[in-house]
Order: sequence, then C-alpha cells, then structure tokens
Amino acid sequence: MIDALNPVTPAPFSVEAFSCQKAGNARTEYEDAWAIRGSDSPTRCRVAVADGATESSFSALWAALLVESFVRGRSSGPDFFEGLDSIRRLWKRKIRGRPLPWYAAEKARRGAYAAFVGASLNAVNRGWRAVAIGDCCLLHVTGLPEQMELAHSFPLTRSEEFGSSPFLVGSLKKGDDDPRPHVRVSEGVLGPNDVLFFASDALAAWLLRRAEKGEPAWQAIGPMGIRTQEDFETVVAQAREDGTRNDDMTLLRLTRRASWERGAG
Amino acid sequence: MYSAEISRKNPGCFIFLLDQSASMEDPFGGSSDRRKADELATIINKLLHNLSIRCAKGDSIYDYFHVAVIGYGQDSVVKSAFDGAMTGKDLVPISELANNPLRIEDRVKKADDGNGGLVEQTVKFPLWFEAKHAGGTPMSSAFKMGADIVQRWVAEHPKGFPPIVINITDGESTDGDPVQEAKALCSLGSDDGAALVFNIHLSSAAGNPIELPASGDGLPDKFAKQLFDMSSNLTPFMISRAQELGMPADEGARGFVFNAQPVQVIQFLDIGTRPANLR
Repeated sequence: MIDALNPVTPAPFSVEAFSCQKAGNARTEYEDAWAIRGSDSPTRCRVAVADGATESSFSALWAALLVESFVRGRSSGPDFFEGLDSIRRLWKRKIRGRPLPWYAAEKARRGAYAAFVGASLNAVNRGWRAVAIGDCCLLHVTGLPEQMELAHSFPLTRSEEFGSSPFLVGSLKKGDDDPRPHVRVSEGVLGPNDVLFFASDALAAWLLRRAEKGEPAWQAIGPMGIRTQEDFETVVAQAREDGTRNDDMTLLRLTRRASWERGAG
Repeated sequence: MYSAEISRKNPGCFIFLLDQSASMEDPFGGSSDRRKADELATIINKLLHNLSIRCAKGDSIYDYFHVAVIGYGQDSVVKSAFDGAMTGKDLVPISELANNPLRIEDRVKKADDGNGGLVEQTVKFPLWFEAKHAGGTPMSSAFKMGADIVQRWVAEHPKGFPPIVINITDGESTDGDPVQEAKALCSLGSDDGAALVFNIHLSSAAGNPIELPASGDGLPDKFAKQLFDMSSNLTPFMISRAQELGMPADEGARGFVFNAQPVQVIQFLDIGTRPANLR
C-alpha cells in the first residue's frame, strides 16, 4: 500500500497498486506502467496508468516515462499532451546509441506506443479530473462494499469498445499522428464510500463485461476482495479462464481516508 | 476457431511457396522492364522484412512465428528456397531468418520529420531472395511438400493457430491440377482450425490490382480463377484487420490478390495490441 503522500499530516487518499505480466512472460517483460504521487499540496494526489503496446519496441520505457511525467507535473487535462516533446526527447535519448540489429533499429525507428489514463484528485472538494488516450480505464465505483456499483467508466464505457487496435500516444512526433484529437477528459466527485480503480485494457474489459452480465465485478477487486498480490493473481487467473486475452494486467485502487476527513474537519 | 493465442510459447507458422519457373521471366503486369520473378523477389523480401520487424522487441526478436520458404521450378524440383546459412532448411524460427539474410542494403527513405516536412533516412533493407526463373512449374508438388510441413507442424502444435500457406505464382502449373492439392492441404489443421491457403497471382497481363475479392467473377483469366478457387476464406479477425489497414475486404473475402503487393497480409494475425496509428 502506498500512502499518497504527506509525511506530516495523514494522507487524504490511500492508493494500492497490483500488477501482473502476461502469462508465459518474464516479469522484466511487463510493459504496463503506473505511478502515484502526492503533489506539492498535501490535499492533492496524482495517479496514472499506461499500457505499452505489444507491437512496438521500447514501449515499457515509453509507458513509464508517460506516467512519471504525469504524476510529477501539474497538468490535469489535455495540456498534458501539449508537453509531450520533452518526454519524447527523453525516450529518444534513452535508446539512442544502442547497437541494434537491423530489425530492432527499424522497429525503434517507428516509435513506441502506449495507452494512458491519468487523474488528479483534490481531497478538499473530493473532485477528480482525468485525461486519457486509448483503452486504459478509470472506473468510478460507488456504494457500500456489498452493494458496489459502477458510477462511471472512462474513457471506454462498454466491453465491446475494446479492440486490438486502439489509437495510442506515440513516442515520435509525426504529422499524421497528432494525439490531441484523441484526448478524452472527464471529471467526477468521490463520495464517502467510493472507490476509483485504474485498470489496463484487458482487466477493464473483463470487469465491464462481468458488470454488463450482472455478474459480481467490483466486490472482487474492492478492499475486501483483493488484499494481497496473491489475491490479485487469483483474479487475473479467473479473468484469463473467462477468456480474457493474455495481456499484462494492472490495477490501482484509490479510496479516501475517513481519518483524514475527520482530522481536516 | 482461429482464436489461439500467438506467442513464443504458441508460435504461428507461415509457409511460403515461390514459383521460380521459366515463365516467371516474362514481363510483369504489362511492364516492359520488370519481370514476374523480380516482382516475386520484391514481395517475398518485403513480407519477410515486415514479419521480422513485427517480431522485433527492444534489442531482440521474439519467435512469434516459424517460417518455411519452398521454391518450385528450378530444374523442375521442389525444395527449400533458402540460400546462404539456411540452405536446405525448411522451417526456421523468425529470429534465425532475420539474422541470416543474404545481404543487407542501405536504402534511403523519406520519413515524416514531425513538423510537416520530410527528411531522408538511411534504412537497412535485408534481402533473402534473388529473382530466379528456370524449369517447369510443379505447383501441385509444392502444395504436397507444404502439406507435409503443415502435418508436422500441427502434430507438434495441436492447439496452436493453424499454419498459413502463401503461394506466389503466375498460376501456370505444369504438374497437374493444384486445386486438389490445395484442398488436401486445407483438410489438415489444428484444434483451432484448418490450415489456410492464400495466393498472390503475378500476371503478365496489364490491369488493375485486385485484393481479397469475395467472388471469382470479373477475374481476368482462368489462372486467376483457379487460384481464387484454391484460396481460403479470411477469418472475421482478418477481414476487420484488413479493413483497418485500408484493404477492400468484405464478408466472404478470400486470401487472393492479383498483381498487387499485399505486404499487409503479415498483419493478419494478432500478436497483441497494435496501435491504430502505427504506419
């Protein structure tokens, strides 16, 4: 569990992260990325998840640079994608000069791609604002633990919207590849028992599919459902048994701390 | 069906059949300076180039696919078409193929500079095959050899995605009716489906390229019609992927092209998230 994050006063949010690589892959081949950070204000928190595309090279690096840049920055809307140039330069610098065989050099020349969702939260007004490209999702779930239900899903809302070829944000600036028209923004308010989940695509699609069929989805990943990495791996195994495609899976779970509210009040 | 995951643990299989017969020396598509054998060499080199890049990951390459390339025509025999370090081999993992081209050329390519302009880049372009043209066209025997490889592959990978056989030819078989051999090959398969046969028809006739038709009506000659009859229906995923890539594939589309360079065929199998904006 990562408290987000203030050493002096209790943190307003609790954020837990779980992740699992594609079955059959080594942990080092995990290509999702996530980051959590309390900001310069003790009442704020920033969270991001990215999913590096299998069909591009150095996409884990690109995903990691995107989430780190988001949580370390101040942008909470489309302006995050106005600042891609510096992140792209960093990606290029990190792979430049490597001696690569012809196929690896050619693949790198085509750039890396990732899906992204990032959110900033304000503990005082309980508001969240999220920005996304692609199919990593924010899932806002409300209600008591035994009656949890989906209040909002962003940027995709139905399981059938997930495919194998989403528009993703690329590590190279190309004239015909402007991400800005594809940026989605959403806002919400976190109620007393609400939970925000951030999930990479395969997991988000499975959860939405279960919810659409009236099957339990949110309890299984709520605070009572997943307590440990082993619990998460059990959920991942269940998703794969259900026919979810074999992919890296990442889940961040964010809740408000009641103790902070009492302290702040 | 046709939903088995393709991964290093469960690799896919491509078998290319190359027509290297004497008739491939004839002009291609009404051209005065380009032969069908030149076009075939360009297509197979591009297909293997794209397949290798598709499997590249970081500074390495993942063996998502194993590849065989069978030549038919030279001295009227059917055999592995690999030269150099891979001479005589049939199925090789993509990493072995990518690391053993006959030579690598530097080619200058225009690329997007990100600011609305173009910049020249030198890129590496490997070549595995040269133009060849001699002897008869034992296409039926080539399909028999392809079927042997398919049979071996599905025995070793009974739950895997079934092999895809891609035949590149001018269509003029000299050892009997290849349709029956192609059908026999398609009767083989894994638990995930029957083996698939695609045909790339290179003709001397001028005319517009035809890609992935759903009907043989309107095809220009009897060889095109025969190759269309030998071609498998695309799977629903392949149709949607072809459409994403800008190819005119409708329901019922078959894996057949006429006088075209269908390098996108290599993208018809799913190995993970492919960005829609990846060109």
